Amino acid sequence: MRTGKNPAKDGLPAYTPHRLGVALIVYIPFTEGYFENSLEILEYQLDSLRAATGEPFDLLVFDNGSCPRAVSALKELYDQRKIDWLILSAHNMGKAGAWNWIFSSMPNQLICYTDSDVLFRPGWLDASLQVLQAFPMAGMIGAQPNFYDVMAGEGKAHLALQGDHSYKFGDYWPKIDTIDEYCFGIGASEELAAQFYNTPLPAITERESGVQAVTGASHMQFLIPREVARQVVPLPSTKGLLRKETMSIDYKIDELGYLHLSTPDSYVFHMGNTVNERLREEVGRITGSLSPAAPIPERASAKPSTLQRALTWLAKHPRFNRLFLRLYNLLFRALYSEAMEK
Amino acid sequence: MRVGQNPAKSIDSVPRPADVTVAVVTYIPFLSGYYAQSLDVLKVCLESIWENTGEAYDLLVFDNASCPEVRDYLNELQRQERIQYLVLSDKNVGKGGAWNFIFQAAPGEYIAYTDSDVRFYPGWLTDSLAVLEAYPEAGMVTARPMRTPEAFYTATLEWARSQPDASLENGQYIPWETYLQHVLSLGTSAEQAREWYESRSDWRLTRLGVQALVGAAHFQFTARKANLGQFLPFKMDRPMGQVRSLDEQINQARFLRLTTCEPLVTHMGNQVPDDTVTRAASVSSRANRLADVPFIRKPLLRLYDAIFRLYNQ
Repeated sequence: MRTGKNPAKDGLPAYTPHRLGVALIVYIPFTEGYFENSLEILEYQLDSLRAATGEPFDLLVFDNGSCPRAVSALKELYDQRKIDWLILSAHNMGKAGAWNWIFSSMPNQLICYTDSDVLFRPGWLDASLQVLQAFPMAGMIGAQPNFYDVMAGEGKAHLALQGDHSYKFGDYWPKIDTIDEYCFGIGASEELAAQFYNTPLPAITERESGVQAVTGASHMQFLIPREVARQVVPLPSTKGLLRKETMSIDYKIDELGYLHLSTPDSYVFHMGNTVNERLREEVGRITGSLSPAAPIPERASAKPSTLQRALTWLAKHPRFNRLFLRLYNLLFRALYSEAMEK
Repeated sequence: MRVGQNPAKSIDSVPRPADVTVAVVTYIPFLSGYYAQSLDVLKVCLESIWENTGEAYDLLVFDNASCPEVRDYLNELQRQERIQYLVLSDKNVGKGGAWNFIFQAAPGEYIAYTDSDVRFYPGWLTDSLAVLEAYPEAGMVTARPMRTPEAFYTATLEWARSQPDASLENGQYIPWETYLQHVLSLGTSAEQAREWYESRSDWRLTRLGVQALVGAAHFQFTARKANLGQFLPFKMDRPMGQVRSLDEQINQARFLRLTTCEPLVTHMGNQVPDDTVTRAASVSSRANRLADVPFIRKPLLRLYDAIFRLYNQ
């Protein structure tokens, strides 16, 4: 039976999520071979995200059936309050299956999806939001120019803008550094790389603001408004990582009339599964220069009073913590002992 | 850069989720006072689900910022794969916020929701699904007969009166003992329960040979995920107290609110139902008497509440 009144019913505020939620899927089935550096890379990713994101955000990590060591590392990060929502799935549900969870459930107005091997650079959010503002029908906005059209020219949503004089279609030649980096990130062969160097990317410019965006967005990282995310699920999910299944998000977004766009400059980098000095140096630059100003995001709830802050501070000390709990227990028994004895 | 092929690409199939997701929301901020027995209550709840659920299901637990002891317990169960999906929330997003999360993301076609202080008995899911099957118009089915405010089931009565293949009867169909057990679990006195019991009656439906009572409750229910999706998102700015809107909305949307005829779940509240846990020694009767004096009780309650808020931050 219930004894006493549940204190949670007493009008306390619940947590109000931030505008931005970042979600990443982790799948580290073992920590050798292909996945030898995966935990280190994940750490770089989280550090860079925290340092390079200009506003507070909620972080959701979906573990898709990783090995005990990886799960244990994630739980540690959760205990350190570096992860706001940790979802542990007993089995690998596939990338599309995990997307179904993420895009159905994240309460944030803007959702940034990212694989767990992506480095974030300062400005990624502003640049993405600039595109979203200039193109309100954007459904997926990548923070790296899109080099590979997963829909192989079948996308139709952007055609709606072709007769609109507010927009100008044209070619965009990415910087050589950007192409170098993209080719390095995916381990492109020389032949494939040559195609990227010699082919411009299709782009759209919104005339009034002058904001230009490359058409197309990668599955590796993208920003998606919650209202769009809710419409694309459920996605078919039968395999671990089947292109046909992950591509279904692109077709749904396009069918709904939303655009796939990406920023002309590269604000994210695919770290893949290897670590080198160049990467470590960049992580150091991003986190070293910015991290002091970007601590772990605080709760979005109301600011506590001085008394509350003082009590909270006291409660962190084991002695006071024990004292408060004993006092609480004593009060509970005194206030509700009659009901407990029934 | 990526070296080698991602082995995830070679995973040929992923497990197909069960048709039913049993979803539990936990919130135990500390193991003291009101919550002193809550971890044991949670253990009874989960054990009873594992023992008494005959159909295939996936178990999803949403932990709404509980204390480390509870998290450790849940983590261990997840490690043993007794929980298929464990969601840990660093902040309490409210019951509505947890529902927003669960009702959209749970992979099953049916969602069997429960608070973490409910005990399950054999047949609870079978009977709940049987009612849902016989009454496809049902929005929620609770596995325990109970009386709920009539305002929340007007649509059910209207529907029943208009159905040629369903019969509607009025009478005392909930046995006194069944009624009393639930009402006592909410902290109400037996005298009050007797008064309420005698002043009201029950509505019973029969269709396709399946009987169900009118009324349902949000502490435990089974529903079609597609139906629940219509009512999302719920307000989530308070930890509790806003979830009645689900009862209202289901009625407004003309869905039926039903219960099984047999009591197949019980509400435990914050006390373990039997003598499995040794109760902490009570404070002296003199202190009890003092705590009942109104001008002493009020500030004590305020202090009690202040400490709770401290730990809830």
